[in-house]
Amino acid sequence: MLLAASLLFYASLKTPYLLIVLTLVAMTTYSFGMLLGRPNTPGMRRALFWCGIAVNVAILAVMKYLPFLSENLKMLATIFSFDISVQPVKAFVAIGTSYYIFQAMSYLIDIYLEIEKPERHFGYFMLYLAFFPKLLQGPIERAGDLLPQLKNQYVFDYDNTRYGILLFTWGLLKKVVIADRLGLYVDSVYNNVHMATGLPLLVATCAYAFQIYMDFSGYTDMALGSARLFNIKLTQNFNRPYHAISIADFWRRWHISFSRWILDYIFRPLQMQWRDWKNWGTAAALMVTFLVSGIWHGASWGFVIWGLLHGTYLACSVFYRPFQKKLHKGLGLEGSRFIKIWQQLITFGLVSFAWIFFRANSLSDAQYVIANMFMFGRSTPVFNLSDYSNVFFLVAGIVFFILSIPLIADNGRRLFQSRWRWAFYYALFFVIFYLGTNTSKFIYFQF
Amino acid sequence: MIVRDRLNQIFREVFDNDDINIAPETTANDVEGWDSLSHVNLIVAIEAKFGIRFSQKELLSFKNVGDLIVSIQSKITS
Repeated sequence: MLLAASLLFYASLKTPYLLIVLTLVAMTTYSFGMLLGRPNTPGMRRALFWCGIAVNVAILAVMKYLPFLSENLKMLATIFSFDISVQPVKAFVAIGTSYYIFQAMSYLIDIYLEIEKPERHFGYFMLYLAFFPKLLQGPIERAGDLLPQLKNQYVFDYDNTRYGILLFTWGLLKKVVIADRLGLYVDSVYNNVHMATGLPLLVATCAYAFQIYMDFSGYTDMALGSARLFNIKLTQNFNRPYHAISIADFWRRWHISFSRWILDYIFRPLQMQWRDWKNWGTAAALMVTFLVSGIWHGASWGFVIWGLLHGTYLACSVFYRPFQKKLHKGLGLEGSRFIKIWQQLITFGLVSFAWIFFRANSLSDAQYVIANMFMFGRSTPVFNLSDYSNVFFLVAGIVFFILSIPLIADNGRRLFQSRWRWAFYYALFFVIFYLGTNTSKFIYFQF
Repeated sequence: MIVRDRLNQIFREVFDNDDINIAPETTANDVEGWDSLSHVNLIVAIEAKFGIRFSQKELLSFKNVGDLIVSIQSKITS
């Protein structure tokens, strides 16, 4: 039942080849999983394992990276004045593929390392990849976490249903009210960066940091909420990321299912492989890991630079950390409140800086933003206040934002249990209907 | 000296904490400062002190100190 619903859901996107790709990935991964489960020589197992991974990587590459590769090949050809005619390739619509292909690879790796046993039932296996709440944008689930839950018989559970609906609505609020409202402002600045100098660029960059968080965590709440209706608990993807006190901490709190994936399956093996180089090995492993992370988000130089920036932050911290400990001790600041807030601000600054490359429409736009965002002397106005509706939304936005901080902080948990919860539910619906936008799609949809 | 005692000594040196007492069920969550960065130092120290070398696959499938001890024992007896 759930599998049929999930496939119908995917089919409703009206791109038939998406279903074919999903089935292809499911069938190959399932077969390699079964083969890996059989007793075999270590050499044979290794070969099988790498074949399975290669198939998945190849499918992903065809779906997402062909246009990028052909474009850059063409550029290389012109640089070296080779006379090759590279045909421009049209991009496939690849919604969801990067998420479930990563999940398929995690399945193969876990079987290879003998952490999990292969799933024999093809239906359950396919549902593990295709379960509709998480099909489009994750979370990327481990086989050990999700598969056993899919096999449980469904029984109606009042608490799960209630919590599921609440979580879904809460996510909807984050998405259509907060993220999309912020998005209107961010778009107005970032889509014409050359019209702005100074403050608006800075404000839009900070606003984008919150937009992308509210957008993606709103989606995640909706995914987790709808999964709850079927008594299924998906992995929590966020844990107050902007409270992070370091970039490493940020990656333990942001898109957790994905960061766990790249850390466990790319970073740790590389770090161990290069362990004789000490800190340099760790730093190199971090650079490679976050380069892959950037490429995973999309085939463009902006994402590559975003990934490399995070890699560089983390690589630097490998060398800086022992020194930082001594510095804090020397200044007598160890464990002080002040230092924590300071670290949170610095981390937020670094993360937001990297987001510039993530959001900007082109590399030259990103360059312009960085070069001009601190030109306060020649700053253009942050808001266009000649339009009264803008003023209304500005004031409403600020009031709403201040009110919502404590709510967002504990994800509404306290309110859902308070005596005032019905008033709150009505308010929630009111806000979603009247302040919601009905425009945009999710940011993480495209990855 | 049995493997566990020698290993405990290495833990104390790597994490710079003389109060550490490891048990087979100890995991990274139980030891302060045992994160992915210090983990690599721990592994390098263990390999040097015991004169052994772990394979990639072994390193990725350790779940707790118990797994580590079993692996060390099998390597020094063979």
